[in-house]
Amino acid sequence: MSMHPPHSSAIPDPAYDAETRQLEQTWASPPGFFAWFTHVNQTNIGMRFIVTGFVFFLLGVILALLMRWQLAVPENTVMGPELYNQIFSMHGITMMFLFAIPVMEGVAVYIIPLMLGTRDMTFPRLNAFGYWIYLIAGIMMYIALFLNIAPDAGWFSYPPLAGAAFSPGLGLDFYTTVITFMEISALVAAIELIATIFKCKVPGMSLNRMPIFVWSILVMSFMIVFALPPLVIASLMLALDRMAGMQFFTAASGDPVLWQHLFWFFGHPEVYIIFIPALGMISSIIITFTQRPIFGYIPIVLSIVSIGFIGFGLWVHHMFTAGLPQLGANFFTASSAMIAIPSGVQIFCWIATLWGSKPRMDTPMLYVMGFFLIFIIGGLSGVMVASVPFDMQAHDTYFVVAHFHYVLVGGALFPLIGGVHYWYPKFTGRMMSERLGKWTFWVTFIGFNLTFFPMHQLGLQGMPRRVYTYIDGLGWNQLNLFVSLSAVILALGFVMTLLNALISLKRGKSAGDNPWNADTLEWATSSPPPSYNFRHIRIVDSRYPLWSGTGGLEQNAVVHGIRSDRREILLTSILESHPEARQPLPGPSPWPFWLAVAVALTFAGMMLHLAIPLIGFLLCFAAITGWIWPRSGRAAA
Amino acid sequence: MSVAHKTTPRTPHDIDVSQLPDYSFESRSPLWWGIVGLMTVEGTVVATLIASFFYLQGNHAVWPPSGTTPPDLMLPILSTFVLMLSMVPVYLTDRAFKRGNAKPLATLPILSIALALVFLGIKAYEYALHVDFRWDSHAYGSMVWLMIGFHSTHVIAVILKTLVVIILARQGYFTPDKRIAVTVNGLYWYFVAAAWIPLFMTIYLGSRIWNE
Repeated sequence: MSMHPPHSSAIPDPAYDAETRQLEQTWASPPGFFAWFTHVNQTNIGMRFIVTGFVFFLLGVILALLMRWQLAVPENTVMGPELYNQIFSMHGITMMFLFAIPVMEGVAVYIIPLMLGTRDMTFPRLNAFGYWIYLIAGIMMYIALFLNIAPDAGWFSYPPLAGAAFSPGLGLDFYTTVITFMEISALVAAIELIATIFKCKVPGMSLNRMPIFVWSILVMSFMIVFALPPLVIASLMLALDRMAGMQFFTAASGDPVLWQHLFWFFGHPEVYIIFIPALGMISSIIITFTQRPIFGYIPIVLSIVSIGFIGFGLWVHHMFTAGLPQLGANFFTASSAMIAIPSGVQIFCWIATLWGSKPRMDTPMLYVMGFFLIFIIGGLSGVMVASVPFDMQAHDTYFVVAHFHYVLVGGALFPLIGGVHYWYPKFTGRMMSERLGKWTFWVTFIGFNLTFFPMHQLGLQGMPRRVYTYIDGLGWNQLNLFVSLSAVILALGFVMTLLNALISLKRGKSAGDNPWNADTLEWATSSPPPSYNFRHIRIVDSRYPLWSGTGGLEQNAVVHGIRSDRREILLTSILESHPEARQPLPGPSPWPFWLAVAVALTFAGMMLHLAIPLIGFLLCFAAITGWIWPRSGRAAA
Repeated sequence: MSVAHKTTPRTPHDIDVSQLPDYSFESRSPLWWGIVGLMTVEGTVVATLIASFFYLQGNHAVWPPSGTTPPDLMLPILSTFVLMLSMVPVYLTDRAFKRGNAKPLATLPILSIALALVFLGIKAYEYALHVDFRWDSHAYGSMVWLMIGFHSTHVIAVILKTLVVIILARQGYFTPDKRIAVTVNGLYWYFVAAAWIPLFMTIYLGSRIWNE
């Protein structure tokens, strides 16, 4: 999985000079199994996030297929209600927590430093720490599933059902403790992305020249910083309710609705946390495949930023059936409608960019087109459920299942798969098969619509969601069978994408540095990028540096004087990107892994005994001390 | 691109950054942004706790629930004063270091640690002997104990962190170019102390104002 330095060919290359060798040596990740736990380079960690995220995605798809198997015919006996509850809960937990956020972060961690023209991120070890936290959390959740003790109260785990009285056993204990520490992974990545975007832009890349994808990741990171802490503390509170007899969400003294508020104060921004990076990917792909500057750079950036704000004012529309005051519901209906404005501005800017161009209709662009259609349908059903009276009727039915799959799969997964096709040549040095890619797109697109569109109808006919079976004679049989068969087509589409990615790894056409003639800096280095990202750091003079009028980036001035005998990056000012200082970076380290183990022990240990967190706290302190302790006079950063 | 063009001649527009410092301070330093990010995250947790406290209060006719008296004011006012005082040595240490004097670093923060330990001692005494509710008595008890536990954990963490700084200082690690590590430790100390103020007002004043 680790990316090897690309200059291993036997042909002597005149450019393979002493400094390049020095850079390779300085930035190399040590080989070997145990050394694998010490890697910190951003390309390594980013790729691990992406690959691990897609492994969890496939597990989530398998869980979805199991559910559709059970629901294919009425009163099916493939599984009982206990197992079904675990599976639908784990499907949601997997897709939201173990796939969507980490994979978006993974793409960001891999691509952002390359787009900014720097050699790594500001806190490489923190990156690695975030990955280990995420991996440990994901493995723990799936161990619980294989032991048949997975959480079974939905990915939202509403008390009192999720409380100790109605969900005894370890399932919800896993949920509360693992969710509490898993989100540390997203938080550290967000802080690090903000610091990197602020301080590591290449000279000349002032804020108004930053690629739109970078803007979208910046907004995503800010949203994570404000949206995830309430979830962390809420799941800790639920854990304490369950394990220490506390009463935050009990019906006796606390309030179950408080959980809903805290959960959705995270949960709604979460939708935008995975949607906004997808918007950035769409802009990147549209710019490249129309070979034009984007129409309305400033309106698009402002739209992304305002979505970031408005996204925090929508959470109650998940709770319209919880019996809240009407005035509050009105407010949240209005803000739900308001977010259509910045979303619309972006769509019109994209249409204007596409207008009259002859876009190259390769696979990434097809997925963007698929996004348009699916997301607009999801938006329309969103307008419907945003109105309280309709939502009262549809809330617990398959209509809502159809709606949010249209929004999430259309809004995030399609652009993401497009983005994977788009950046695959950069990740691997090879192109994915275009022919297979186009076929795959149509299978996925048709499979998706055949699976989820009929669910609108099922919902309107009153079929409740989250129920493991239904009785014969309600008129739902045919559509359910149809949906289950269509789900197989959709899954086939995902498997074809996976096969394409795997086969192209060996058999794909060689990509070269910039196969799409794209405009941003990640395409200005070899594919895959060397461990140090760029041999020369070149000053940028436009928003589209690789297309700039003077003959492309090759003609641009070079930044000299960044040391190559130790890991070092250039720090620049936030607004204008003037060089300010050089920053030495730490190399490979085992401490991020040990700290992740200690953190996991601290929180998951609560399940066994409430004294274990105390021991864990001390272990964490020991690991942090090991982490920051200076080695051989090097700076601790 | 780059590799093939190693021999690109220096153009007049090239820049040389080798003379720039390899350290940076305050908002120029990524570490400063990192600690600001951490404080924002934790500040959001504090805000969530306070919002939950008042949300739960709205569900109760009397708050704290009847039969429970809100904690006394004397001890917490004293301990708050002690905690605020603990910021002073941290500030003086940082200021001296900014002026090039690293000496106080090995000694002065010990005073802060001592004050923080007094704060924790008072808290332990108060909650062991002077409150008439437990964390599992009712939602009010749960909220108060969680806030106290959350904050005390942070006080312990910042004490341990500062101990590491003192030990490193005694080993002569902190040359002036490494000042940012001391500055961000100070910032975190201010944060932990300042976060106590809204928690104090919530626990001790928020438990009284709407019921009397």
